[in-house]
Amino acid sequence: MYKFKEGFYTDVRIEEAYETYISYTLGKLDDSRIRRYKAAFIRVFDGSLWYYASTSDTENIQNEIDKLYQAARPNPDILNHPIVSSFEVHQDKKLQFEENSVEKIPKIEKENLLKLFFPALNRQSDIKLLWKSIYIDARKKITLFSSKGTELVFDTQRAGYSLRLSFSADGKTFNDSFQFASNNFEDLPRDEEKLKEFIRKCEDFMMNAKPVTPGKYTVILSPLAAGVFAHESFGHKSESDFMVGDETMRKEWALGKKVGSEILSIVDSGLMPGSGFVPYDDEGTAAKETYLIKDGILTGRLHSASTAAALEEHVTGNARAVNFEYEPIVRMTTTYIKPGSKTFDELVSEVEDGFLIETIKHGSGLSIFTIAPSLAYRIRNGKIAEPVNISVISGSVFETLSEIDGLSDKLEILSFITGGCGKMEQFPLPVGFGGPYVRVRNMTVQ
Amino acid sequence: MIREYYRSRVIDTTINIVNSRIESIRNKNIEKTSLRVYDGGFIGVAGAIGKYSDEELFREAREALSKNIEYPAAHTSNLSMSMDCRKDIIPSEKLREETEALLAELRERQPDFIFSNKVGLTEVHSSLKNDDGLNLDYADRAIRAELVFKEKTSSSIFDGFLLINERKYDRKLVLEEFELFLNGYREKAGLPGKGKYPVIFVSEMAPIAKLVTDLNGEIFAEGGSIFSGKAGQKLFNDSFTFGQNLNPEIALNTPFFDAEGTVNKNYVFNLIDNGVLAAPYCDKKNAHKYGLTHTGSASAAYDGVPQPSLIRPYIKRTANSVKELLGGQPGILAWVYEGGDFTPQGDYAAPLQVGFLFDGEKIVGRLPEANISANIFNMFGDGYRGTAPNTFLPFSTFDFTVVEMDVSW
Repeated sequence: MYKFKEGFYTDVRIEEAYETYISYTLGKLDDSRIRRYKAAFIRVFDGSLWYYASTSDTENIQNEIDKLYQAARPNPDILNHPIVSSFEVHQDKKLQFEENSVEKIPKIEKENLLKLFFPALNRQSDIKLLWKSIYIDARKKITLFSSKGTELVFDTQRAGYSLRLSFSADGKTFNDSFQFASNNFEDLPRDEEKLKEFIRKCEDFMMNAKPVTPGKYTVILSPLAAGVFAHESFGHKSESDFMVGDETMRKEWALGKKVGSEILSIVDSGLMPGSGFVPYDDEGTAAKETYLIKDGILTGRLHSASTAAALEEHVTGNARAVNFEYEPIVRMTTTYIKPGSKTFDELVSEVEDGFLIETIKHGSGLSIFTIAPSLAYRIRNGKIAEPVNISVISGSVFETLSEIDGLSDKLEILSFITGGCGKMEQFPLPVGFGGPYVRVRNMTVQ
Repeated sequence: MIREYYRSRVIDTTINIVNSRIESIRNKNIEKTSLRVYDGGFIGVAGAIGKYSDEELFREAREALSKNIEYPAAHTSNLSMSMDCRKDIIPSEKLREETEALLAELRERQPDFIFSNKVGLTEVHSSLKNDDGLNLDYADRAIRAELVFKEKTSSSIFDGFLLINERKYDRKLVLEEFELFLNGYREKAGLPGKGKYPVIFVSEMAPIAKLVTDLNGEIFAEGGSIFSGKAGQKLFNDSFTFGQNLNPEIALNTPFFDAEGTVNKNYVFNLIDNGVLAAPYCDKKNAHKYGLTHTGSASAAYDGVPQPSLIRPYIKRTANSVKELLGGQPGILAWVYEGGDFTPQGDYAAPLQVGFLFDGEKIVGRLPEANISANIFNMFGDGYRGTAPNTFLPFSTFDFTVVEMDVSW
């Protein structure tokens, strides 16, 4: 236990990580490693500034704490500071992945999981396929102490694979990936037929995709694209650190304001199983479900203790750091759009001229959000037609949420093992996405 | 069996800014060590963060050898070079004071804006040494400011960025540079209508993602690149030269050698030379596997096997100034264009969130949000105007690349 000095708020986050990375190219092993490390991030707050240190020398954490105390100025009233008052205090041990830790799975089983797909990838075809198969897992055990009395031990875990496919024939090329992730190794799908079907779809796409005429169109987003849309178009807007000290933003985004179509509800939850699952955030707040938009009305936003204090709201369990080298900042966990009442076929049948976005490469979200589609299709006269090549779809954050006019009735939550959310210097943070099929009018398609 | 150590140490002080004031100070001193062992055409790697037992690391690396990860090329040997590029910028303990002074001036001179994000001072030490005479050492230090700005009346989460990344610091000049953008942002400007315009990018941030993905030697050799089968062909403008440049004069906090210890002649390898596709980029393994030129393009995680990677892409200068490249025409200085991408055919499109009208010498004003697009073969072919050093920003040493693109509002 550490000696925390009076007059300061102090917390220590110790990260013990176990990670596996295995990759093959065309069936040959490229890399195979197991990473274990223990390191810490320390914070001291004196009421006016935060002082941070990141160290891999976990035997000398007390020295690091003491060095930070030397830089800071003691504040006898620190416990009454609004930020310090905002912290939840928990004493808890929640090691949900100790029993089925990925550390206990022999590496050979992880290699064999990838090898299951080799026959489907080594198929005979005139269409050439360069493939890479990657397996990744990570279990992190976080121990958190604070001068307010927090004593937490909890863990997070994810495992998954990504099969990166690069097709070519007749001077045409196409890249996409087939990937799944879960909290547990045992839950990863092992469906070779699904991969074969995906390969056929990619091949058909490459050979037949047509260019598009840029313009404004109705677009139906798959649950994957809809999840990224929710994350980029509104999720980042809900991260309250963008609002601190900004009167315009506070007025513009006042809770209770209508910001989207009446059928739209967006939720962020650290409780949802998958890559965004975090039982506590990195400053010890228990995970919560936060409605960002309910029935088109702005109902909540995401907070750390600092932003909750600044905006006089409550912590939401969204203070997260990518690893021990960084301080927790306001981040999403699993962000998804709630389902509606239409079937997928009904959504499509009501579109005269538009597009279906099935898979995507990436998204971004400032005042304009973007999604770079991969597999995309034309919708003509209520039917899905030919595949199309689209560089990017985009829309104004301020207008697009009101353009949502249809939601399908099934929610799908997706987890990822590669990539993640990037915010300034901190990338990639594991997050989850999801939603139903979402129909949006007037999206700019290029 | 050859033992090789790849070490990196990052010493960093970073100030976080919230609402135009300092919120936190972060200190970091992290060492990562990689031990590689080479034996019989195979490689084994083990890594550690911080303190480690050499015996344990060697045992793990030898164990990794048993995975039979092929490394058919020769490890680098008999090469000894050392470079210390560190210059006195600001002592790290003075960074807080300096950032406070910078922010105080920004608050006073630009009261309509809110500033946030980071100012940091980073020192990097890298070394690659083996028991076959390889001995490479590099040290560097740079200051960076990545300030996000927004107008106080704006409803956006932020409106734009102010960036510096240099081995020097001069508050007066940094402020002058920031004010060029902030004053430009405040002024509204316009262009006659949609059409083809010269668009100016900071060269390092130009839309080159398709070149980076499709000039990967493996993808190229396996037929998955739009450049496959086109080696030696003239694909782009006569003046377009693109490649990897690790010249310490311009590559900050980036070693002059790659992760396999390769040091290119003059630290540069041109993949596209005066419009001709000279070579895709390769690490040693892929160069050997596919019979391609080895371009010294390997990077590695601290505990990983080296992998092909275009480490620091660059576009060669062709002119003395952006003004010369614009030839009297107005240009669009692209400043924020997040999220754009290419189709498999190389068609690029992006929303231009922040673009400035630029007359060749100064920023005239901010243009309305627009869409920009071009095909890669046009962008760096007939539409490539050239690349020139900065002549209008008082502090930074960016190069700018000018290409013609379709612009619509």
